[in-house]
Amino acid sequence: MKNLFRAAAVAAVAALALTGCGGGGSTSSSNVAPTGEIKPREISWLLSRPADGAVINIMKKLADDYAKDHPGFALNLITTPDRPSYIQKLETLAAANKLPELFDTDATPFAQQLAKQGKMLDAEKLLKTLGIYDKYRPGALDYQRFDDGSLYMVPFQYELEYIWYNKALFAKAGVSVPKSLDDIPAMCTALRGAGITPIAIDGQDQWPLERYVAYQPFRAAGPEFVQKLKKGEAKFADAAGQKTVNWMAELGKAKCFQDGFSAQGYSDAQNQFTSGQAAMYNIGTWELSSLATDKLNPAVRNDVDFFTLPTTAGSVTAANEFVSPSGIGMAVNAKTYDPLVSDFLKFALEKYPAEYAATGALSPTTDVETTVPANATPLYRKALDQAKDLGSKQAMPWDTQLDPTTNTRLQQELVLLVQGEITPQQFTETMDNTIAQNAPKFFK
Amino acid sequence: MQPTRMLPNRSRTSVLVFLLPPLLLYGAAVLFPILQSLFLSFFSWNGISDMEFVGLANYLRMFTGDDIFWRAFANALVYLAICLVLQLGGALVVASLLTSLRRGRELVKTLYLLPAVISTVAIAFLFVRIYSLEPVGLLNQLFAWVGLGGLERPWLSDVNTVLAAVSAPEGWRFTGLYMLIIYAALLAVPKELEEAAVLDGASRWTLFTKIRFPYIRPVWITTTIMATTYGLRGFDIPYLMTNGGPGQSSELLTTYMYKTAFTSTDFGYASTISVFIVVECLVAVGLILFLLKRKADA
Repeated sequence: MKNLFRAAAVAAVAALALTGCGGGGSTSSSNVAPTGEIKPREISWLLSRPADGAVINIMKKLADDYAKDHPGFALNLITTPDRPSYIQKLETLAAANKLPELFDTDATPFAQQLAKQGKMLDAEKLLKTLGIYDKYRPGALDYQRFDDGSLYMVPFQYELEYIWYNKALFAKAGVSVPKSLDDIPAMCTALRGAGITPIAIDGQDQWPLERYVAYQPFRAAGPEFVQKLKKGEAKFADAAGQKTVNWMAELGKAKCFQDGFSAQGYSDAQNQFTSGQAAMYNIGTWELSSLATDKLNPAVRNDVDFFTLPTTAGSVTAANEFVSPSGIGMAVNAKTYDPLVSDFLKFALEKYPAEYAATGALSPTTDVETTVPANATPLYRKALDQAKDLGSKQAMPWDTQLDPTTNTRLQQELVLLVQGEITPQQFTETMDNTIAQNAPKFFK
Repeated sequence: MQPTRMLPNRSRTSVLVFLLPPLLLYGAAVLFPILQSLFLSFFSWNGISDMEFVGLANYLRMFTGDDIFWRAFANALVYLAICLVLQLGGALVVASLLTSLRRGRELVKTLYLLPAVISTVAIAFLFVRIYSLEPVGLLNQLFAWVGLGGLERPWLSDVNTVLAAVSAPEGWRFTGLYMLIIYAALLAVPKELEEAAVLDGASRWTLFTKIRFPYIRPVWITTTIMATTYGLRGFDIPYLMTNGGPGQSSELLTTYMYKTAFTSTDFGYASTISVFIVVECLVAVGLILFLLKRKADA
């Protein structure tokens, strides 16, 4: 009855017709090796990845291969690449207790609640049982972990985020690669003086600007800062917090981002950089095929290079520690986990890395070598090689860390701060209040 | 004898029989969700947690502790005002001009109606391009051409212009639709009345205020109610163009409710906001009826 009401209540808000509702899961999240017969059926994976991207293409192929030996098996891939829409879909389905066999999620506070309720399978145990746990890059797994170290998602990617820059534009403005994060505002002023847009940014999607606010605290206080901040144990009013707030305001004052950035999208930003209008562009290795192959505009092809996140004076993290995400992870629904799902995952996860590395991407595992595509520029290899020498810490994107209400407010206030509409003091006050109001509900 | 009494009885039964299915459907599709939102608004619930009864806490938070709510409410009123001026004012002007047009009425009508049939997403993307500064969009280019370069700005990133900028496409879009309704009403104004007034020496303005407008008042009331409720429910274009930003500069109650429900997963509080939107629409309709009826009686 209660479950039925819950489903109806979601329908009221979502105006979605959700009928029926399964009972609470009686399966345990740690029973990773179910016994019994493998009965092929159709299983679904709710995911948020590009529709024609490598992950989906490979998993489709592997599912087809598996179906040859297991007639009746099919993998239904339901993708919603737009992340905010995807999260809404996921949360609505979770509320109705209608999650499919496999679903994508970051290590968000919401996902942690699902894990606590036993709705997700313990991925560490799963990977260990399959005997592939040790093949994964520690960093790729760490990115998926919750703060308590538990692991409930399996990574399918491994990406490194760099600041790409145009050497010719740097020379024109007389600036060089920054030695410290604190050099960037002055660089922006110099670039603007030479009539160049300093940084092209996708403001519409909001996470790109949110990356910047994470940089200074990661250097000043390490990855622990955001873990404390999101619970209200650290504040923007603290030293590391104030450093980033003031730095963001300075970036805005120095007009680092293109005019009207908040209404510009992903491809707008990339076009500004690849057309030679903007000097810097902060993006991950998932864009290697556009930035380090002959697809790149010939006019800038020889001028493009990248640097990694600069350090600062007194930085507690090293130069080889920066944002290195393993992408959105795949969680396994504990309720629908059975011998079939288990057997398919064993089959697919073992074969996946080799196929993935062959597409020119970095595998989340270390047992395969990435194939550099034939049309790559020398930069491609250089970008991949960074993965061989990384420190043990990584900067987490804040949008996966904060509770959703705080995250939304932070994204809004950041735009206002950078545009100079609010002062650093106002920003600090608003954000510390927002966290105090919303964090307790999520992290009790 | 009997037939005269039987007919009303029979029609009452048949009216009931025919009205009942749509009423039931209406109850299930409209009233039930509204009542359920009302019910949910007394709870704290994130979709996967246990529902916790919190009494009036959500309402208290909405009215006293939520700065974004009030900002969104004020924005929604400005959005409504801009939409109404463009839709009703624009529609009335265009419809009046149309009646004095001798040729090409059909063409003008079709042209004005065209935006109403374009998909919302296309309109949103179109206007994002029009307002853009880097690369230069149509609006800024126009300003540059006529020598008003000083007005060039990123319309959707400027906190002072963004609200008007997201309201205008919605107003522009439905001007044609309301124009068509008002035009039809104007055509129905008896020509003899107008001619008599003209013979008596009435100016065009007097003709409009004393004869035409009173004649179309019932249609005008309906159109105003339609435009107001649509305006209060406005969601898609602002959501698609700016997602409420920068900051909360173009946040409407509807977009805020949507974010509260589906981004913050605070279904209880989102229901509280939706209850407010329902009440707000009812109050607006009541107010319009009251004001326009009183004027008509005066």
